[in-house]
Amino acid sequence: MRALLTDRRSAVDLVVWGGLALLPLFVGAWQVGQIAQYLTYGIFAMSLALIWGQCGLLSFGHAVFFGLGAYAMSLSTLGMIPGLENWTSSYLGLALAIVLPALAANLLGRFLFYGRGLQGAQLAIVMLAVAVIAERIMTRWPYAGGMNGLMSVPPVDLGAFGWHYELYDPLPLFYGTLAAALLVYVLLESLVRSRRGVVLRALGIDEPRTAFLGHDTRGLKLSVFTLSAAVAGFAGALFAGQFGFVSPPLIGFGLSTEVLIWVALGGRSALLTAFLGAIVVRLAENALADVLGAGWLLGLGLLFVLVMIFLPRGLLGEAYWWIIGRR
Amino acid sequence: MDQALLLLLDAANYILVIVLVAMGLVIVFGLMRVINMAHGELFLLGAYTLVMLQQAGVSYWWGLIAAPLLVGLVGLLMEELVIRHIYHRFLDTILATWGLSIAIKQAVILLFGPGAQSTSAPFAAQLDLLGTPYPAYRLFIMAVALLVVAGTFYLFFRTRFGLAARAVIANRQTAACLGISTRAFDRATFAYGAALAGLAGAVMAPIMSVDPQMGLGFLIPAFLAILVGGAGHLGGPVLGAGLIGATDSVTASLWSPVLAQVVVFTMAVVAIRLFPSGILGGGRK
Repeated sequence: MRALLTDRRSAVDLVVWGGLALLPLFVGAWQVGQIAQYLTYGIFAMSLALIWGQCGLLSFGHAVFFGLGAYAMSLSTLGMIPGLENWTSSYLGLALAIVLPALAANLLGRFLFYGRGLQGAQLAIVMLAVAVIAERIMTRWPYAGGMNGLMSVPPVDLGAFGWHYELYDPLPLFYGTLAAALLVYVLLESLVRSRRGVVLRALGIDEPRTAFLGHDTRGLKLSVFTLSAAVAGFAGALFAGQFGFVSPPLIGFGLSTEVLIWVALGGRSALLTAFLGAIVVRLAENALADVLGAGWLLGLGLLFVLVMIFLPRGLLGEAYWWIIGRR
Repeated sequence: MDQALLLLLDAANYILVIVLVAMGLVIVFGLMRVINMAHGELFLLGAYTLVMLQQAGVSYWWGLIAAPLLVGLVGLLMEELVIRHIYHRFLDTILATWGLSIAIKQAVILLFGPGAQSTSAPFAAQLDLLGTPYPAYRLFIMAVALLVVAGTFYLFFRTRFGLAARAVIANRQTAACLGISTRAFDRATFAYGAALAGLAGAVMAPIMSVDPQMGLGFLIPAFLAILVGGAGHLGGPVLGAGLIGATDSVTASLWSPVLAQVVVFTMAVVAIRLFPSGILGGGRK
């Protein structure tokens, strides 16, 4: 308790997560369901903030891993995976949704982190190309539903030994997702605050110097990228269970752009601000998109440019670092 | 035989347009270390300038002249308002230009609607090449692209301006000490790179459907071309575009366009692994 009072960072954590836990007391059931969905976006945003904010790896196609997770979950719970038709457990789906994106990221990383052509921008550009191609493949692949995607994906089932409990009603869904988000946050934040987290940030600032200090920077980048993809896939799986529907836009260019905007506006330098950024931007979009129409995205793009120029730590990020008392 | 010739011509066409787009990107990257993610939208603006002028009753040729000028002006504005403030923060320039690309695309959707516009080529004649009819306009595109690429090489390797520009690329501080205004070069190159994208957009507009999403389809192959060929030399994008364009055209005509993208992408990633700084190499830190 003393640590909580002296360490403002933990106090902010407590206020944010406590506030989120109390949210259903103040808003209606429909909105609770809506926010539960934004929580999965928040988890996704944390996965991007981990690689981008901590070790300076920018990805323009992070939705590939989110979408891969969502598709893995859906295909598995719909019993469409050859050989595993009768095993439609949500646990299997979640496991696949974590393992497959991690595997994909690891393979890709093995190729990319050894290049130095465009000074570290390779990942950003190659991921952009991956996202566009992944979306096209999914659009043309009849097995994965093609353009229509996969419908009536069952909700996440937390049952075991013949007992079933589906996260379907807004309230259980909200708390289930919140618990998952908190779990991811605690896991990633403990990495960020550990000694290894310091090395990650050093790597983001100056990779050659970090390497001179004896750190295996490529191996570190590879493992963080893999971890980030696993988390993104997990978020995608939760999303698929909630939304009940996956389609090619989930794996492509559009969502990749959106998550970048959430993280940039919220603040990439801390996981918490990226997480909140996703929720806040989505809530604002809900409130404003009808009024502004296509102007919403125009405004968001311009706001994004302004934040990049003047507040590189993001709108919430500036407040966060000010509250916890660091420059 | 006919089939092979057609394939060859179409591939050459595609390659030359990618070179045109990639050239603008690589000049800006070489001089300012800025990766311009809004380059695809500059291409888009070039195409829309032509469409707009043609719809207003202006002839195609004026449109072709106006597009690079207008888009060059947009590039100048971008440099002055955005890039100038952040060009020492590498990743942030990528993101800021990315934000600009979103904003430009949305502005185009607001002004012209999300649908496709069409415009007509100034001449619809078919030329007879070894017994195969081929649209003369596509040959015209190739001629324009060749001319511009040759002109750019001339500008950078045979003029005083080019010498100074290469000096800035090689070592910005030393160039500045020698009395070269690096600010002026930043402005000029950014505007020139943008104008190249605008010209590419205008010249391609008549043979494709002009819609707000068209920019990305050229940006990605252009980037891959630079990654494959190398960003350290003007010849890099030419070589890269040749490899990318040829692979794409051949695979697309033999199998399917989607498979072609996958093959091109895989090839590009493998090339990046084998030649980390491009096939022509950077050679410079």
